[in-house]
Amino acid sequence: MIEIRNVTKSFDKIKAVDDVSVSIKENTVFGLIGTNGAGKSTVLRMVAGVLEPELGEIAIDGLPVFDNMEAKKKIYFIADEPYFFANSNACDMQKYLTSIYPEFAVEDFYNYLVNFGLDKKRKINTYSKGMKKQLALICGVCSNAKYLLCDETFDGLDPVMRQGIKSIFASEIERRGLTPVIASHNLRELEDICDHVGLLHKGGVLLSKDLEDMKCNIQKIQCVFKTTDDEAKAIKALDIMKNEKRGSLNVLTVRGNKAEILAVFATVNTIFFEALPLSLEEIFISETEVVGYDVKKLILG
Amino acid sequence: MTSKNSFLASMKENNKRRLWVWVIAVLAFVLALPVITAFGLNSVSGSNKWIWEAVDAATAQELIHNKLADAMTSVLGFSGIIFFFSSVVAVVSGIQGFSYLYSRKKIDFYMGMPVKRKKRFLVVWLNGILLYVIPYVAGIVICLLIGAGNGAVDKGVVYTAFMSFVVHFCVYLGIYHLAILALMMTGNIVVTGFGFLVFCLYETIVRYMVVGYEQEFFDYFPYFGSSDITAKLSPFGLYGELATAFELKNTIDIKYLLFLLLFVLVVGGLSYFCYLKRPAEAAGKAMTFEITKPFIKILITVPVALVAGLIAFDRVNMDFNGAQEGLGWVVFFIVLAVVLGSALIQVIYEFDIKGALHKKRHILISGALTALIFMAFKQDLFGYDDYIPAPDKIESIVFSPENYEQGNSSVYFDEDGRFLSVNGYAEKNMYLTNTDALCELIETSMDSYNAMRQWWEENPEIVDESGSRWSYVTVMYRLKSGRQVNRALWVDVEDERTGELLDEIMGSEEFKRGYMIGTSDNLNRVLTNEDYKVAATYGNTVYMEKMSDAETREFLDIYQRDLKLANFTNVKNSVPVGIINLGITQELPWSVYMGASGIARSTRGWDVSLNIYPFYEESVSYLKEHGYYMDSQIKLEDIASIQVANDNSEAARKLIEKQQGEQADASVDAPAAVNTKSAWASSEYDSGMSTRVFADYSEEEDIKKIVDCICPQELVTQDWDMGTGLEVDYRVTIYFKADSEITKTYGASATYGFSEGQVPEFVREDTAYKE
Repeated sequence: MIEIRNVTKSFDKIKAVDDVSVSIKENTVFGLIGTNGAGKSTVLRMVAGVLEPELGEIAIDGLPVFDNMEAKKKIYFIADEPYFFANSNACDMQKYLTSIYPEFAVEDFYNYLVNFGLDKKRKINTYSKGMKKQLALICGVCSNAKYLLCDETFDGLDPVMRQGIKSIFASEIERRGLTPVIASHNLRELEDICDHVGLLHKGGVLLSKDLEDMKCNIQKIQCVFKTTDDEAKAIKALDIMKNEKRGSLNVLTVRGNKAEILAVFATVNTIFFEALPLSLEEIFISETEVVGYDVKKLILG
Repeated sequence: MTSKNSFLASMKENNKRRLWVWVIAVLAFVLALPVITAFGLNSVSGSNKWIWEAVDAATAQELIHNKLADAMTSVLGFSGIIFFFSSVVAVVSGIQGFSYLYSRKKIDFYMGMPVKRKKRFLVVWLNGILLYVIPYVAGIVICLLIGAGNGAVDKGVVYTAFMSFVVHFCVYLGIYHLAILALMMTGNIVVTGFGFLVFCLYETIVRYMVVGYEQEFFDYFPYFGSSDITAKLSPFGLYGELATAFELKNTIDIKYLLFLLLFVLVVGGLSYFCYLKRPAEAAGKAMTFEITKPFIKILITVPVALVAGLIAFDRVNMDFNGAQEGLGWVVFFIVLAVVLGSALIQVIYEFDIKGALHKKRHILISGALTALIFMAFKQDLFGYDDYIPAPDKIESIVFSPENYEQGNSSVYFDEDGRFLSVNGYAEKNMYLTNTDALCELIETSMDSYNAMRQWWEENPEIVDESGSRWSYVTVMYRLKSGRQVNRALWVDVEDERTGELLDEIMGSEEFKRGYMIGTSDNLNRVLTNEDYKVAATYGNTVYMEKMSDAETREFLDIYQRDLKLANFTNVKNSVPVGIINLGITQELPWSVYMGASGIARSTRGWDVSLNIYPFYEESVSYLKEHGYYMDSQIKLEDIASIQVANDNSEAARKLIEKQQGEQADASVDAPAAVNTKSAWASSEYDSGMSTRVFADYSEEEDIKKIVDCICPQELVTQDWDMGTGLEVDYRVTIYFKADSEITKTYGASATYGFSEGQVPEFVREDTAYKE
């Protein structure tokens, strides 16, 4: 498990990360969401042992990470702009990483290159931006490090590639307990990949929750009540996060599981009733609006 | 085992990233060095083929081998070529090796890897050394193989190459560490370049500034031993010291080598410390450590501003010719340099021109410190000019007058025949222990000189001729603490008490051993060494006669005994009866060339002139006995005619004063206070006002009267003691008869002068200026 406890980091008197505490469980895909400048990269760089926190602690499976080889062996960090040696090709990178990560899966590496259509002899500086990201991900997966830290790595990948990476993650999670931590400023990019999401804003954590829990605990209901008494009764009985009224149509975002909510509606008279599926984006908007943030502006741009 | 493998793998991988630095090192040492060596050997062989025809085969082989070995050592020894290559590779390797620290991308990659920071440093650092050592050693081996193939290698060459390798390697480490330190303290290659330059030049600039201000503000600043601005805390300066020491002694000076190693260790340790403390986020910034910014800014701005002040001093002295007016300009330049220097550094820190005037507090601190240092020099806050050590703290003193008793061309040399300045010779050989007399002399001289200076400053309009009685001495105090302090001193040579003290000091054996080359053991060693040839002549500089070797050695023994009789007063009050000139030459065995008369060797030579005074009774007797003594300074029968020129300086002075008075009356705008001294000095160049009068004499009677009163000008040079000399206004030109012997040996004419107070009346009248 990666434990980030009360971590603070400033650059030139500007607090990039302010008292952040997050726990990242093993065998999950953790998404770190936030706007530009929210502190995602700083958090990941601190987790990778590149930056040293001013305050707080970061532990990888209980080991402090900064300049600690035992902890760092469990991590592979893919920066937002991955670096490859000048004039090198994929084989050169494999040789270097094999000398650093003794358990580097050489065979898998070359298989993945073939599967992703990357030429192992071609100079990396002639690769496209997307190809470089793919190569960086392949390097990270094949390093056999337990935690794969990806900073904006999925941004710009086409859906086919994303699906490919997703399936690799799934098999690696199952095979050896890989824990990818993916930072992105775009929630839509992560929706289909992450199990758990942390939202950073202005250096602090707004929330950190399991995606399934969030989906199960929030429902969206469209209904038209027969009378205003019915409406008042239902609203009183429900844990309503948001209520939009368009004429006589009520659009309610309600906290609670579906069965409980349906039971409440069974006690009141409605002309029209419909339970709608909630997107991750809507869940986030609802969750963060509760604490006073306009998330649309933050993560959807 | 895994760790070792991982280390080697890291080394290998790091080397792949530094291929181009390897290429530079290989091109320099494995290609250029052997090519230069081969060219050098080829050139020496080609230009010395004639030796095979000039001498027998065995000698020729030896001579050519020596020349080839010289060519080898000039490349493989302490050569500028290897030093240049070493410096370039050190800077490039140091900066390239750790340049990943400039880039956030690279830092994320490297520091994200499970590699210890210490290990990464060690890998990069070690590779930086290997990429120098391996090509250098390979280059030496190739050069030696080329040399061996040409018969140019012997033990001496291998020894020199090895010693040179040791020193160059240490210098490489010094520069390499300096470059790494500059990189660790900065986050951008341009700023690293500035930082490296600052490290290299800082000490020199500070020394230049200190010496400059000492010269400017201190009356007793000595030029000898105090003007050295070479950086001592720099691999460049230390290399110079080591190379010079090797050239002189053919061995490494351990003191400087240890000093260099200490430098390497300290700078290396600092680099490593900075590396460990360097935050990853420093990449791309100007400075790595926020805390160093104000210190570095102030430490650069203050000496630079003071140097700007020094430059202004030079300019205002030239342009304004007045200390008070000039001082304002100096202050202006210093203030300007403080503001501009601070602003420029702040712009570099922020990479933003708009940041120029940020951190105004730093400008104020720099300004205050600069003003404090400036005032410390100007007001002599540390008592530089008052310094006289307590006699009980002095081990010995060097008292080295400027231009005293050096004949007309004496040179000083050490035990190996290397040239020395008079102060350098005195520093090595003079150990005066009569500190009481010396301290009294120094104290009274300083008091009188200070009083004179003060009076002069208070009365600038009055021409003071007393300046001519002050003679310059370099004083070196060797303190019991081991420290040496040098000071200048002006001695009033006309003062009675000073004369007594000078007799005591300059009459002592210790003074003569340390100052008079005639008593030098080095001279005795040269005279008894068969490698040296001595051609001695005695005479009055116009008439000179050769002395045999035996006579020379015999006479010098007598001279050295007589020299004990010399003191300040009797030398001051006497005119030499003659001069013995020793022309010493030594053949240089390693240097041969084809001369007009066949094969020849280069030589080096020294001229030593020793004055013989009338009170050197034993010497005079010897000269008389052996027929060298001259009763008259010129032979009457050689003279065709005499021309006397009288400058009439007193008349000239009056004329100028009169003319200035007329000018002042004519123009109300003319400056009221004119420095009559400088006006007089310029009068000589005013052709319209020349007061010089010539008189020619060809009558035997006149010539006879004149000849009794004259001396060759070269024999009676007025020196430090300002003693008996020639009449300054008169110049006597002797024209010799065309068929005389002296015309052949000396020339058609000679310049003489009248001894003080001995100008014949008829000459005085003939040459007097009449309006």
